[in-house]
Amino acid sequence: MPTLAITGHELRALAKSWLVRLWLIAAALATFFTTAGNWTTMESAVLIATLQIPFLVFPWFLVVIMLGISPVTGVRLDALADGILSRPVTRHEFLLAAWLARLVTVLAVYLCVSVPAILLITYARRPVPADDLSLYGVLVTLGVVSLVLMLLVSLAFCAGTLLRQPLLAAVVLMLIWFPLSLVLHTFSLEEFSPISLNQALPTVLQTPWRTADVAAEPGPRAEDLESLARQTSQFLSILSGGATPAREPQGSFLERGDYDDFSVPHIVLGYGIPAVAALGLSLLVFSRRDL
Amino acid sequence: MTDVAIRTEHLTKVYGGRVIAVNDLTLDVPVGAVYGLLGPNGAGKTTTIRLLLGLQRPTAGWAEVMGHRCGVQATAVRQAIGYLPTNPSFPGHLRPFEYLDLLGKICRVPGDERRRRAADLLRAVELLGATNQRISTFSTGMRTRLGIAASLLHNPTVLIWDEPTAGLDPAARRFTLDLIADQAGKRTVILATHILSDIDQICDHVGVVHEGRMIFSGSMREVRQRLRRDSFHLELDGPVETIHRLAAQLPASGGLATDVRDDRVLIVRIQDERNRAGALAEVLQHVAASDVSLRSIGAGQGDTESAYLQLLQEDRAYGFRRFDFQTPAVADANAGDHGA
Repeated sequence: MPTLAITGHELRALAKSWLVRLWLIAAALATFFTTAGNWTTMESAVLIATLQIPFLVFPWFLVVIMLGISPVTGVRLDALADGILSRPVTRHEFLLAAWLARLVTVLAVYLCVSVPAILLITYARRPVPADDLSLYGVLVTLGVVSLVLMLLVSLAFCAGTLLRQPLLAAVVLMLIWFPLSLVLHTFSLEEFSPISLNQALPTVLQTPWRTADVAAEPGPRAEDLESLARQTSQFLSILSGGATPAREPQGSFLERGDYDDFSVPHIVLGYGIPAVAALGLSLLVFSRRDL
Repeated sequence: MTDVAIRTEHLTKVYGGRVIAVNDLTLDVPVGAVYGLLGPNGAGKTTTIRLLLGLQRPTAGWAEVMGHRCGVQATAVRQAIGYLPTNPSFPGHLRPFEYLDLLGKICRVPGDERRRRAADLLRAVELLGATNQRISTFSTGMRTRLGIAASLLHNPTVLIWDEPTAGLDPAARRFTLDLIADQAGKRTVILATHILSDIDQICDHVGVVHEGRMIFSGSMREVRQRLRRDSFHLELDGPVETIHRLAAQLPASGGLATDVRDDRVLIVRIQDERNRAGALAEVLQHVAASDVSLRSIGAGQGDTESAYLQLLQEDRAYGFRRFDFQTPAVADANAGDHGA
């Protein structure tokens, strides 16, 4: 009961915050203008993937970080210690409730904005060729973006708990998150890079339900090794300032076969494990702190 | 059922390996006592309370509340304690009933009982008229009263109130002290304060903390017994020069030391060898013989204050002797020898 009570209290406080209200309005407007602007030009899968860019890449990750910064920072900590943590509630219960409230708030804003837009794009008649949008693909897309947002909330939560100063935590996380995403993107590691993940979404959205993932080959394939070598070479070239190796001419995006090895379990593990680890670290650090 | 509500043994808290906030503090608070934790600002009272609540972890030693060991995850301890912090802060966007309802849920109080108790408590602390106001609009006195209600909500067996009268106007202060007096006998109450008159009025036990260490713990009767009853004061009315001359004449008769305060209060200290009644009779004879009139006579400026100041003075006077040379092993050996 204490965890639910604190979650409810934190949710109400977040719902009343100007940051959440402004974000909801801004996200709704951005989604509306993006949809309207590309209504007659983009296929459904590409348009839906485009709508995810603000959440996965820029700028909403900044808002998510600000929201995710844990409540056990700065001047709020004294009030929390006196008001809530001096009551018969464990620190783990409190932190989990605070984290859950932030996660629910972020996902509520994301889903409130994205789901109506996706429904509209899917079912409205538009002057573009119909593509093979699948329900499975849409659900996976919503799921993986939610997973990335969960990771961001958890990282912000952890940074706030570790660094104690909300502003410092936000700056540090911003300075780490974006460059890290770029580096991971260089290796096309959609399991870890939201930028690569976003590029994979049009493929995902057209992927029908299948169980082929479980039949994955045990060892590395030759094409994977070749791809890895090419990506490493490209990354080293970028770092050393040398010329980027010429790429072979490729077909259109959906014909190239990119991201056909997209694996939901890999994504879940790639984002889920760091999120759980960040939350665990927050609990560990906070349970050893003097208030 | 334990007869000790709160027990600490060699409780020590050192911040960052540098600042010693609580120093080897050993304390027993009997069940049902109204215990005044007295000490100057920065003596370690609040740190001791936070150690009891599990908000901080002790560097050494341990503490128990109602038989439960204190610690970060010790919810049983916090269930037994109703805590009122100094200048309590609240979620300002809530109204008092909403706040108490939230705390009741956190304290696992069942729904019906929670709402009934919240309403009763708001009435008891005279906040019924403010139930429609947001807490952010409350005055200091109203906040303290809400904090008092919050501390009582889950019907705790121990109340710990940290400087509950700080920043209150006289009426609010009186209200708070009356409320504490009302709780006496129903629960164990710990009142941390540096205001001696509060202790004097409502506490039956007192612990004096100085520089993080408990330098005295006992009943109010014991603390007053410790007071050297070798001084009294006479409030006089008359020419200032006469009062000062009187103060100068008295020591000449031997065994007396005098001082004048505010040009009208003559303080007389009696040396060990003098008989108190005889010394007092002699002083009164001198007063009667002079052209000043006696307005009142009393034994010092409040017994508790004198005792408290005396305790602090004694503690400082001990100097290096305050260090306990006996290691536990030696002490145990000595105890064994005595036992044999």
